[in-house]
Amino acid sequence: MKVFVIDVKNCTGCYSCQIACKDEHCGNDWTPYAKPQPDWGHFWGKLNYYERGQIPQVRVAHVFVPCQHCDDAPCIKACPETAISKRADGLVWIDPKKCTGCQLCLPACPYGAIFYNAQLHLAQKCTGCAHLIDRGWKEPRCADACPQLAIKFGEEAELKDLIAKAEILHPEYGLKAKVYYIGLPKRFIAGTVYDPGTKEVVIGATCTLTGQGGPFTVTTDNFGDFWFDGLAAADFTLKIEKAGKTKTMAVSTKEEDKGLGDIPLS
Amino acid sequence: MEEKEKEEEKAAGTVSRRDFLKDAGLLIGGAAVGAAAGAGITYAVVEKEVVKEVPGKEVPVTGAVEPAFEPEESRVMALAGNISEMCQVDVKNGKVIRIRPVHYDEKYTKEELAPAMWKWEARGKTLEPLMKTLPSYFQVAYKKRIYSPNRILYPLKRVDWEPGGDPAKINPQNRGKSKYKRISWDEATTIIASEVKRIQEKYGPYAILNKADSAHRERKNVLGGSGTQTLWLRATPGFTSCYRNADSWEGHYWGAEHVWGSGNRGIIMPNKNNPNDVAENCEMLVIQGGDWETTQQSGGQFSGRVMRWYQELGIKVVHIAPDVNYTNAAHPDKWIPVIANRDDALYMALVYTFLNEGIYDKAYVDTHVVGMDKISDYVMGKVDGVAKTPAWASPRCGVPEWTIKALAREWASKRTSVAMGNGGSKIRGPYSTEPSRWECVVLAMQGIGKPGRQQTQGPAIPDRKVSFSTGGATRGGGSPDSKQFIPKTLVHHAILNHSLEKPVSWYGTTRNAEPVENQFVKYTYPIPKAEGGTEIHMIYEDHACQIVCWNDGYMYLHAIRSPKIECVVIQHPWMENDCLAADIVLPALTMAEGEDFDICGKQMPAIAHYKQAIKPIGEAKSDYEIGAEIAKKLEKLGGVYAGAYAKYTDGKTTEEWIKSGFDKSGAQTYISLEKLKEKGYFPAETRPDWQQQPYGVRKFYEDPVKNPLPVPTGKIELYSARLAENFPDDKERPPYPQYVIGGPASEGWFHDESLWGERAKKYPLLLVSNHPRWRVHAQYDDVPWFREIPTCKVKGPDGYLYEPVWIHPKTAAERGIRTGDIVKIFNDRGITLGGAQVSERIMPGHIYQDHGARLDPISWEDSEYDDRATKWINRGADNNVISPAMGVSKNCWGMATSGFLVDCQKLSGNEYEEWRQKYPEAFARDYDPAYGLKFDAWIEGGT
Repeated sequence: MKVFVIDVKNCTGCYSCQIACKDEHCGNDWTPYAKPQPDWGHFWGKLNYYERGQIPQVRVAHVFVPCQHCDDAPCIKACPETAISKRADGLVWIDPKKCTGCQLCLPACPYGAIFYNAQLHLAQKCTGCAHLIDRGWKEPRCADACPQLAIKFGEEAELKDLIAKAEILHPEYGLKAKVYYIGLPKRFIAGTVYDPGTKEVVIGATCTLTGQGGPFTVTTDNFGDFWFDGLAAADFTLKIEKAGKTKTMAVSTKEEDKGLGDIPLS
Repeated sequence: MEEKEKEEEKAAGTVSRRDFLKDAGLLIGGAAVGAAAGAGITYAVVEKEVVKEVPGKEVPVTGAVEPAFEPEESRVMALAGNISEMCQVDVKNGKVIRIRPVHYDEKYTKEELAPAMWKWEARGKTLEPLMKTLPSYFQVAYKKRIYSPNRILYPLKRVDWEPGGDPAKINPQNRGKSKYKRISWDEATTIIASEVKRIQEKYGPYAILNKADSAHRERKNVLGGSGTQTLWLRATPGFTSCYRNADSWEGHYWGAEHVWGSGNRGIIMPNKNNPNDVAENCEMLVIQGGDWETTQQSGGQFSGRVMRWYQELGIKVVHIAPDVNYTNAAHPDKWIPVIANRDDALYMALVYTFLNEGIYDKAYVDTHVVGMDKISDYVMGKVDGVAKTPAWASPRCGVPEWTIKALAREWASKRTSVAMGNGGSKIRGPYSTEPSRWECVVLAMQGIGKPGRQQTQGPAIPDRKVSFSTGGATRGGGSPDSKQFIPKTLVHHAILNHSLEKPVSWYGTTRNAEPVENQFVKYTYPIPKAEGGTEIHMIYEDHACQIVCWNDGYMYLHAIRSPKIECVVIQHPWMENDCLAADIVLPALTMAEGEDFDICGKQMPAIAHYKQAIKPIGEAKSDYEIGAEIAKKLEKLGGVYAGAYAKYTDGKTTEEWIKSGFDKSGAQTYISLEKLKEKGYFPAETRPDWQQQPYGVRKFYEDPVKNPLPVPTGKIELYSARLAENFPDDKERPPYPQYVIGGPASEGWFHDESLWGERAKKYPLLLVSNHPRWRVHAQYDDVPWFREIPTCKVKGPDGYLYEPVWIHPKTAAERGIRTGDIVKIFNDRGITLGGAQVSERIMPGHIYQDHGARLDPISWEDSEYDDRATKWINRGADNNVISPAMGVSKNCWGMATSGFLVDCQKLSGNEYEEWRQKYPEAFARDYDPAYGLKFDAWIEGGT
């Protein structure tokens, strides 16, 4: 069964995946696999962009989201024309000949991976470049174009070691998605600790974060920096201590990541 | 946030961090990732507009290639503007259907590839080339550029311009305003030849300005390298060269080169194998604004792999810049935000800390460095009574004292290198010589050349046994030496303010790769009349981006509207930027449309032969053919022009040029030309001992006497006696670096662009502008697959896609600006627009916008030039149009196009409506959000 494994940490945000998908499908007619994708506005494989944190603790993240090729794909059930099916190799496919453009599959997909082509009156989505895979290509265009090998495509059994480290998007949907992700960004809390008296960074301060999944402990580095990553969206208590000085503060990641900037310890 | 605003953001594909998270619950499937996974972020589903229209019948898609599975042909090609990585271009039915990486094993066996392969080993880890090339995203999207609706389809003549020099028929004031009409190639080339003759006869041989450029145009070689017009201009009595200044590394060119001699872009030389030293020995890599992920796309995406590998090796990366540039975004670690171009203050405080705490290599300084005493006196306050302490520097550079001290100690105790990547604000702003030279001081004090202590750039590694060259086949003459020349930074000044009676003088040719001594040579335009000097009256250009990529673009436009300039010709594939201000526009083809022969690639450098992939679009011709057509017409004029065509071609056909170039390429001993044509490319052999080659300036470190630097003392000259001798009164670039922020012109300053001067009271923000993420300078602004990326364009409430302006939430709140607003960026040089993106990627007190967005003038009446502060308006949002007119400093005619003063305000609905009423034509141009302005927008009556 074909699956994707996407290592988000290796992505440099070059968008070659999203662009190569368009290069393959815009203006090219791969009937019977797929009719052309409109020139603009469809994202069969979309690279989502996130800015996280606050100056100077800022991160930019990109997460590539193609059709998740679910084993329990709700789009298949939603289609009254049986135009959507799961191929023997696991790729979920909309047959452009059978599709009547009724659009019932669009809201059925919680990942929003299906698009409506108004010109052709068709529902369209990522085909896994089945037209290429069936002709001997090892990977779809998005993976082929990735200079960082962040997108892997292949047999689930062969990729099992990577999959063991991976998770899926929205497992609570219970759809058995077949796109696995490594290194999906969670929430972070970060800051720089300094001594307002000496105007020096505080190196080796013990930072303890209590809250969901915790407590977590890190020590400030030579820049006075601490960084808690992989956190839940929750309320935490941060305690910073060094040489008898202590600072305690409530920090919430419910709304967003927290770059706390420069924190005086006095 | 407001519902309307939210919809606009979604439509533009923009979801800011805060808004995204706040709204996540509203999106389809917006529940959190399972708590069991300890997850926080809600992962976006794809946002899209709901399509309501339901056409009844299937509409055939025009342009689609059917049926799907006819045989395809494939071509290898390093296509796209100034990018050298190889791509596989698949073609069917005469149409490009895809552009993808070359898979080396499609044409070669593992055994055949073995000599070219390499292993880069360091710290127990290995980096190897992938079995595919690493095209830049610019190349993956190039199909849209080839088939852009913005392609110039046939030769054009401006509707209100006539050849012959009659002042009443030139209408120079309408350049950039009037539309164009179609003419034939025959008419166009006849006009050009006759104008050349007329102007040279009337004014003298040097009356034509030859503007050639290699990096701001499409990369081609036999099809036409930089300056094909030079080849035919050489067959005329003469021309004036326009020298391309060392752009993108101005500070290093005019600054660092006086410290350690000329080299490649101000880097201390030799720099071979620096990347290997970094891999093996470096513990901390400081990146000060130079953006590998944008500027190093010229070699494909290899440098991104290298940077990622450096991080895997455990190297700490410290980004110092006002913005989170794309290298910081892709390879994050520690970000130290610094006020634009005030890296000098930060560096001075590092030097102070080194001195104060004795944490630098005194022995090295004693034997390798000249002028440390002067630096020390200055920094410790013995010169002006002000010690350059971290407390002094902090308010000037925006970095907290504690972080400055921590950085100084880390720099001293960890083996630290600096990675450059062309630009970055600090070496592209006013007085950029000073941050550049202060960086030299820091590097010198910590012993540059010691293991892991280097200055490095995007990796040109591993070294090849034989470096192939296709220069012998290049059909282009660049901007060659000419008796009379003008630096590109001075063209507008020269036209507007100077004449034979009132010539302009400056120092240095400004060209890259000149010996630094050249910066002491004084030049003049026009040269004396007795030597043939004349003002320029015609311009011929083979690229089209001075207005949007150089200093004070509005001033340049105004200059070429001078009645002195009787004819402006541009050859270019796309109707953009400088084309709008030309009198004759000639359509050049793209690489895909012809046969070429070139070197390519960075991961595995190769020599390649490119078969023609598709027929030329419209009536486009190669740059080389265009020149040939003009040369034929010149020849017909006889006299001094006799034999012009033969001189142009040197009597060779294209095939013969390829053959003779190949025979000198270095590849001829490895492969035959026939075999090369069959395979498409041949990768060069790796030098077997490449990893054992000397690491950068290690030899200078080991023995500075035997391995001197190319400066008079052979040592690192923190104090330059030559600068003192040649420019004793230069307070802007003194003999050793100082703290130079400029001031009023009345006090002899070139610039008042700092936060502490008079102008800052009126224009309080610093505009930071790097090399663009989604353009190569000014190229690619018409690619829809970029324009729908949130960092590429911002959709305004009017549906127009504006160039993003990053503005910090605090600065935005002060101005009532929200994401998606149309904003005015302005100063006393004019107005340009942008689309606001409220972002933490830029410091408060600054705004960030890429340079080079395509021109779309709302208003630039030449009669209103003196009131341009309020009356010249550019919707296309390029900010070079309002950048400083002057050079880096008085004796340094580089440009200063980042870190200059502006204000930024929300464009009110009233003002927008006022403009719309006043300039209806500007708002009625043929515009498609997917592509921007189309060719039709500039053609009278449409195509």
